[in-house]
Amino acid sequence: MTLRTILIDDEQPARDVVKHYLKDFAEIEIIGEFTDGFSGLKAIQELKPDLVFLDVQMPKLTGLELLDLLEQPPLIIFSTAYDQYAIKAFEMSAVDYLLKPYSKERFTQAVQKALAQASSGIKALAPVQNLVKTLEENAEYLQRIAVKSRHKVSVVPIEEIIYLEAEGDYVMLHTKDAKHLKEKTMKYFETHLDPTQFIRIHRSFIVNAKFIDRIEYYDKENYAVLTKNGAKLRASTTGYKILKQALNM
Amino acid sequence: MQHPVFLNTRSVSVYFGLWALIAGVHFSVFYFIYFFPIDVAIADSLIFNGLFCAAGISMWYIVRYSIPDQKNSWNVIFNHLSFLTLTLVVWNGLSYTILSAIFSKNKVYMDTLMISIPNKIITGIIFYIVIALVYYLFIYYIKIQEKVKVESRLREVLKETELNMLKSQINPHFLFNSLNSISSLTITNPEKARDMVIKLSDFLRYSVSNNATSFTTLENEMANIRRYLEIEKVRFGDKLLFSFNLEGTCRNHQIPVMLLQPLFENAIKHGVYESTEQVSIEMDCDYKEGFLEIVIVNDFDPNAHPRKGSGIGLNNIRERLRLLYKNDKLLRTKVEGTRFSVFLSLPNTETTL
Repeated sequence: MTLRTILIDDEQPARDVVKHYLKDFAEIEIIGEFTDGFSGLKAIQELKPDLVFLDVQMPKLTGLELLDLLEQPPLIIFSTAYDQYAIKAFEMSAVDYLLKPYSKERFTQAVQKALAQASSGIKALAPVQNLVKTLEENAEYLQRIAVKSRHKVSVVPIEEIIYLEAEGDYVMLHTKDAKHLKEKTMKYFETHLDPTQFIRIHRSFIVNAKFIDRIEYYDKENYAVLTKNGAKLRASTTGYKILKQALNM
Repeated sequence: MQHPVFLNTRSVSVYFGLWALIAGVHFSVFYFIYFFPIDVAIADSLIFNGLFCAAGISMWYIVRYSIPDQKNSWNVIFNHLSFLTLTLVVWNGLSYTILSAIFSKNKVYMDTLMISIPNKIITGIIFYIVIALVYYLFIYYIKIQEKVKVESRLREVLKETELNMLKSQINPHFLFNSLNSISSLTITNPEKARDMVIKLSDFLRYSVSNNATSFTTLENEMANIRRYLEIEKVRFGDKLLFSFNLEGTCRNHQIPVMLLQPLFENAIKHGVYESTEQVSIEMDCDYKEGFLEIVIVNDFDPNAHPRKGSGIGLNNIRERLRLLYKNDKLLRTKVEGTRFSVFLSLPNTETTL
């Protein structure tokens, strides 16, 4: 069995280490090296590798944003210099993550895990319990969201989002001049966006407080939020309460 | 500064209470010892003390604008002497005019009034001195309080800046990635690895051995930045270009230590980290109208949306400049297409806290 492998890292020396360590693994064949998130994503879609060594911090698109956009991700071994992203890597079911700089033993362990998963076809998740604390300490809200349409990938800064709307298993992100579909739940956005800025006013709506134009009666009992681009969003009773609190009304 | 008499109801009642006490004593002496008629005793006490009570309130404005320092002590003495004379003349003149108009028929009282003028002048001088001293004490007390407050705030801000400096200096991302590069170079080019270990050590030594208030020459600071950029160049290769122009006398200008470092870190973070194109960082310096002007320009990708809030580094620098030079307009930035520029103007004289 041979694993067709690509490396995605913007630093030459970092890729050199991986290549050097991989010389000992006859089962691994390197089929490409890429230096940023966009070209890496394109390569994964076109070359369909079995295994990807993925750096987290890269230009255009981070390793995490890249993985998030893949429908059927290959085996991923993350590497990062800074462990704040590690827990997210596990949420996305990576095979393993390596903290730079790493030893050959640690690297070998990660590759053997990947080989085992490739031959068994079972994706085992790495243990997370000792990392939960790291997550809580480094809790950060999303600053941007990577989305893809049929032809291209783009990155939407969250301050451009006017509101989010539930669309079945997806969420529609509404900006001033576009709409983007993202395969995530409303719950995910509710917990990953800054709640002082993004307010869940309804089961189906999260609104950016910055873009609220006014609030008016929807019918006898309920209210509706009007956004600056003219959309009218219904607020539930609980949603209206949260909204009042957030806006200090 | 607020008038000390009218600070609150307590200060008002203390001032007028004391005057009531003085007026009471005055009245008692006239009535019980010199056996003047009750109306004369009341009028004399009320008018003399009432008028000085009013003069005492207006004295505040003389004291307030006559704070002695090395330069104007003669001014202060002159102010007080003229106001004292004016007070005594008006006080005695007015009291005498009113009282003599009411009690012109009381011969004994009229005589007493005339005889007591020297006494009144001495009493007036004593009143004046006591009130002026109390006002000065009040002013110094308030000033000391303010100074203590400002100084503790300054120390606090300095500590914060120092802490922020330390935090930004040893950027863990930079450190671990550099170590990873070294790890890689030990395989491909051990000599270069050794070279990088030395550069990284020198860089860290420079970062930890200085505090927020020390100064160094521009040349020295730029030598450390060169080390930093050379380390980053090992990581990013041809993607990073840099050039410095340290013209003649600029290089010896004293600047706060690690002032420029965060600007180059920003250039790397927003330029090199977020771009796939080649990024060039240029530094230039020149004297303009007595200021050392330093310009740092870098390329960046305007379409890259930073994942983390930016501007913290710039605010730190602004805060440090404000503390060190008491001026917060020394840093400006400009965006032109894909070029980001930072302009720093540093005053010629260095000040230390």
